Amino acid sequence: MTRHRWRRFLARLGPTLVILGSALFFIAPILSTLRQAMQAIVMPLLTWNNVFKKWNLDGIRLAFDEKAFWPTLRLSLKLAVVTVLCTLALLVPTALFVHLKMPKARAIVEFLTVLPYVIPPIALVAGVTATFRPHARWFINSDYSLVPFYMVLALPFTYRSIDAGIKAIDVRTLVDASRSLGAGWLTTMRRVLLPNLSSALISSSFLTATVVLGEYTISSSLAKQTFPVFSFEFYGRSARGGVSLALLTLLATTALLGLLTLLTRRRWRTRAVTF
Amino acid sequence: MTVAIDTVAGGRTDGAAPAARRWSWTWLGLLPFLAFLFLFLLLPTVGIVEKAFTDVHGSFSTSAFTDAFHGEWKSFWGSLKVSLITALLGVVFGGLLAYAVATARRPKWLRSLVASFSGVAANMGGVVLAFMFFTLVGRQGLATKLVTEAGWDPYAHGFSINDFWGWVVVYMYFQIPLMVLVILPAIDGLQQSWREAAANLGANSFTYWRRVGLPVLAPSLLGSFLLLFANSFSAFATAYALNTTAQLLPVRIRSYLQNDVSGQTRAPFALAAWMIIIIAVAMTGYLLLRKRAERWQR
Repeated sequence: MTRHRWRRFLARLGPTLVILGSALFFIAPILSTLRQAMQAIVMPLLTWNNVFKKWNLDGIRLAFDEKAFWPTLRLSLKLAVVTVLCTLALLVPTALFVHLKMPKARAIVEFLTVLPYVIPPIALVAGVTATFRPHARWFINSDYSLVPFYMVLALPFTYRSIDAGIKAIDVRTLVDASRSLGAGWLTTMRRVLLPNLSSALISSSFLTATVVLGEYTISSSLAKQTFPVFSFEFYGRSARGGVSLALLTLLATTALLGLLTLLTRRRWRTRAVTF
Repeated sequence: MTVAIDTVAGGRTDGAAPAARRWSWTWLGLLPFLAFLFLFLLLPTVGIVEKAFTDVHGSFSTSAFTDAFHGEWKSFWGSLKVSLITALLGVVFGGLLAYAVATARRPKWLRSLVASFSGVAANMGGVVLAFMFFTLVGRQGLATKLVTEAGWDPYAHGFSINDFWGWVVVYMYFQIPLMVLVILPAIDGLQQSWREAAANLGANSFTYWRRVGLPVLAPSLLGSFLLLFANSFSAFATAYALNTTAQLLPVRIRSYLQNDVSGQTRAPFALAAWMIIIIAVAMTGYLLLRKRAERWQR
């Protein structure tokens, strides 16, 4: 009995070590970021004796006091909202259409949605420089010109997540039932399809928002003052302030994820009750 | 949203229309999506190819394309090296982590925690990630200090966060999670009964992996390697934040674009075309292998 247990312990030892080692690797940068943002002791002066001293929020206040903090954050949030809405407006009808009317085109559309993987963001920037800059300057000058390119960047995840949501419910039966009860397409969409797809829509929106809030390549190349561009520039002037911004971004992302988990779980439960 | 409804309604036919006509009109429902891709994905790509394969007078020429390779072979090599190494390490460590998580029975929340964390970390990249690692393994980083105090100064032994091995360490933060995400379904596809069958036939653990487990996983592992390669090959923001003069293709493209006042330089477009070709090859391999691997998954 004890020998059996001992052998089981040995067999699990490797996997346990792998999990612990990975946890260390993934948590360590978060901890060191936390320290640098919140502890007012420079690294050469840090010793075992003062590890718990001088923890304060000055670094974060430093970031908040920057003139560019709020305008850049507002721009990034606005871009995130617009990108999410445009993505849903484009992809939900497309995915529904493919499922209901053109199942044959499914493979082609899926293939098209993974194409952005092949064009890296920096190449997209080169492409924009080659085409839009000389021929559509007015378009590139607007801050909102980033939206379609963000939609392209997020396309592989967003389409897959909406597509998976549609596959998980029986769209055809729902549509037929709703239509036979006399609902038009608008009512069917609003009262039947969207509520049933809500968790897929929420998770794809979350993915889109994180992509937009962290995107640096395109916005910096097109000289737009988004939040990541400001973070990068701020880090150059104040390492502590810049790291505090990184910490805030990290916390915001985690909070969004928590919210997402909560929302999708609740949606799922209410759906289980109504159906 | 009105557009949305129109596209769905536009495809509606009530069975009275002849089959051929119904088919031809149905395509219209995809029009907004196709138009979007045409404008914001195809057009920029065509722009790159056009600039990469013409000279300043606008006539066809492959000299920019080949010159870029000869002039920038160092950054080609840098990008290839960092992508191959991080893809390989990512496959090994991510695969081990995914296997450990998939086979762990306790704690119950472990799997969903790792899966959702991987979802976030795989998409993280960017400047935030670079800053986080500056505080850990930078010259004044926490881990650097701890290791130095333990008696071994990594910066005295050729390690630097602005250099190759520093990039490798930082890239692992998104490569391992990506590997976990793509390999978990494949590991779930390994069935307990195969292991039992192998054991019944007298195979030990090593033989099981060599003759059953790894051959079944091989297409998935190779496919994941190609995906991770492409992922790291195209990473720009992280690399640029770590070192704005890095000898890596994306960083070089950026610096050409920034320093080009005349708008006549072909180099960034030629390099972008090279990148697209290399990534396209890797991704085609990935998609083919994924198809092959799905045979074992439900």
